[in-house]
Amino acid sequence: MDKKQIKPALVTIGPVTVIMVLLIALPLIYVAVMSFCSIDEYYNVTFDFTLENYMRLFNADYLKIYAQSLGIAFITTVLCILIGYPFSYIIARTKSRRKKVLYMLVIIPFWTNSLIRIYGWRTFLGNSGWLNGILTALGIVSEPVDFLYKSGTTIVGMVYCLIPFMILPLYTAIEKLDDSLLEASQDLGAKPVNTFFEVILPLTMSGIFSGSLMVFIPCLGYFFVSDILGGGNTDMIGNLIERQFQSGNNWPLGAALSIILIIVTLLLVKVYQKMGGDMDALGV
Amino acid sequence: MTLAGCGSKTGSTETGSSINVFIWTEYVSDAAIEAFEEESGIKVNVSTYSSNEDLMAKLKSETEGTYDVILPSDYAVEYLISQDKLMELDKDKLTNLSNISSAYLDPSYDPGNVYSVPYEGGVACIAVNTSKVDMEITSYDDLFNPSLEGQIVVLDDYRAVIGMTERSMGLSMNESDADKLAEVEEKLLTLKDNIKLYDSDSPKSALISGDCSVGMIWSAEVALSMEENPDIEIVYPKEGAYVFMDNWAIPTGSTHYDEAMEFINFMLSAEAAQMNVSDFPYLCPNEAGLELMGEEYVANTAKNVPSEVIENGEFISNLDTDTMAIYDEMWTKLKE
Repeated sequence: MDKKQIKPALVTIGPVTVIMVLLIALPLIYVAVMSFCSIDEYYNVTFDFTLENYMRLFNADYLKIYAQSLGIAFITTVLCILIGYPFSYIIARTKSRRKKVLYMLVIIPFWTNSLIRIYGWRTFLGNSGWLNGILTALGIVSEPVDFLYKSGTTIVGMVYCLIPFMILPLYTAIEKLDDSLLEASQDLGAKPVNTFFEVILPLTMSGIFSGSLMVFIPCLGYFFVSDILGGGNTDMIGNLIERQFQSGNNWPLGAALSIILIIVTLLLVKVYQKMGGDMDALGV
Repeated sequence: MTLAGCGSKTGSTETGSSINVFIWTEYVSDAAIEAFEEESGIKVNVSTYSSNEDLMAKLKSETEGTYDVILPSDYAVEYLISQDKLMELDKDKLTNLSNISSAYLDPSYDPGNVYSVPYEGGVACIAVNTSKVDMEITSYDDLFNPSLEGQIVVLDDYRAVIGMTERSMGLSMNESDADKLAEVEEKLLTLKDNIKLYDSDSPKSALISGDCSVGMIWSAEVALSMEENPDIEIVYPKEGAYVFMDNWAIPTGSTHYDEAMEFINFMLSAEAAQMNVSDFPYLCPNEAGLELMGEEYVANTAKNVPSEVIENGEFISNLDTDTMAIYDEMWTKLKE
């Protein structure tokens, strides 16, 4: 590099590099190294190389929990697409000032801490909560319904927390749709259903891809949703990791579990990229 | 410079020193800490943790001398002693130690109270909403009754739930025999259908709202839920309960040993105990403090836990790593 260019380079990318190394690269390396460490009889981490942490990951109960997590993440993603797509379509195709209002309705709750909003659902769905109050008052049910602490409740919470991640990329993709293509399809005699499946859907597929990725991956790690709304009855990968760093006091095992989650994430991103996904659309 | 004149007019010995106190959240009264600051002129910097594992991790990762006073539970005291992380307490300076009932002194986790003195504690007992539950519940074993399907809130704490199962089978909460633990696992998994919610933060909420009708939770949580819902009753399990006690201690490397001792001695005073128990009605080993609380408090068996409950109860102790792996596996099976 030309000597003249060093100073500007240091000033411009220097700080970012320092931040990336300090806050992202080093912690990741720390976790990776720890996943090969052992613990001594007092649960202190010792630097004795072992693969035992990785062996323990193939325990039948853990495999069941991975499958359960992937299942919940999959259902959450599908529901987010089914609810998010029509919603994004409506916002993107609205021409008036209402568009901004609808858009803000998605964004504003997003500014509130998700933990607090999840506690809100607990109050809302509880035996003496609003929903049961309304249902009883309307005479639809005589006894309060047990909504809380089931895996279905976990999924409701996940969909609620993560749906903005689906709506925003979908919105971007749908907004880019060229009206003239839809008109052409109509002029050539396609029914609305055909136009949707043959024209609109393929053109907005990139939005569905990036939205799905951004819902699926955090869903695997949102252990507090299954703790608070699922009652702690349906563990997810995130719960396993949290437990090893807390009560289990086995940090190396927790680190190995984290590495698995990171690998799953990278694989999914790789698949996304292979399928022609736009990395910029992920906002990373 | 005129600064030299500052504070020299009285010639007092006040040094304006401060101590760093690391304690449980929602557990020590602010009023008591302020009263100490006023009386001693020592400034108290409070930071908090919400689990013993948090505390132990911080003591491992921070440099020695970061904290002057800590408040670990029984098994954490045992662990910290094994790691040489606690300083011996000079009993001559703890003039208020006589306020503590002898039932709570000389505990198994710190024989002779060399490193720690008791603060407050509690019992994992049973709460029953009598308007919703027909059967009579007197023991941990009753919680396994199939008629309680989907009704119980338990602490999200593997030692409490597995320990309760062990007690119900007449075993110790610290059982380490693999064959016996296999039997414990079998019984533990029959509890799965009865548990509706795991919650350590505020298990009383689910009882008060009616989402759960039975709880295996801390005594102070039951006491507070009884104030909200008169149908709730407290049951001390007849097998002997899971008991915990939190203790004042000074971590190795503290640079303010004398001030820390002054703080601990103040917390052992009857007045401080009264302030603490008024705000946080856990089991209080401070007899002189209880006298100040009045008859109504002393008669409330949820707040003032009867001493035979403590005598029949059991503290948890640290498990070796192999046993811990078995407990962890059981817990994973229960929660998957």
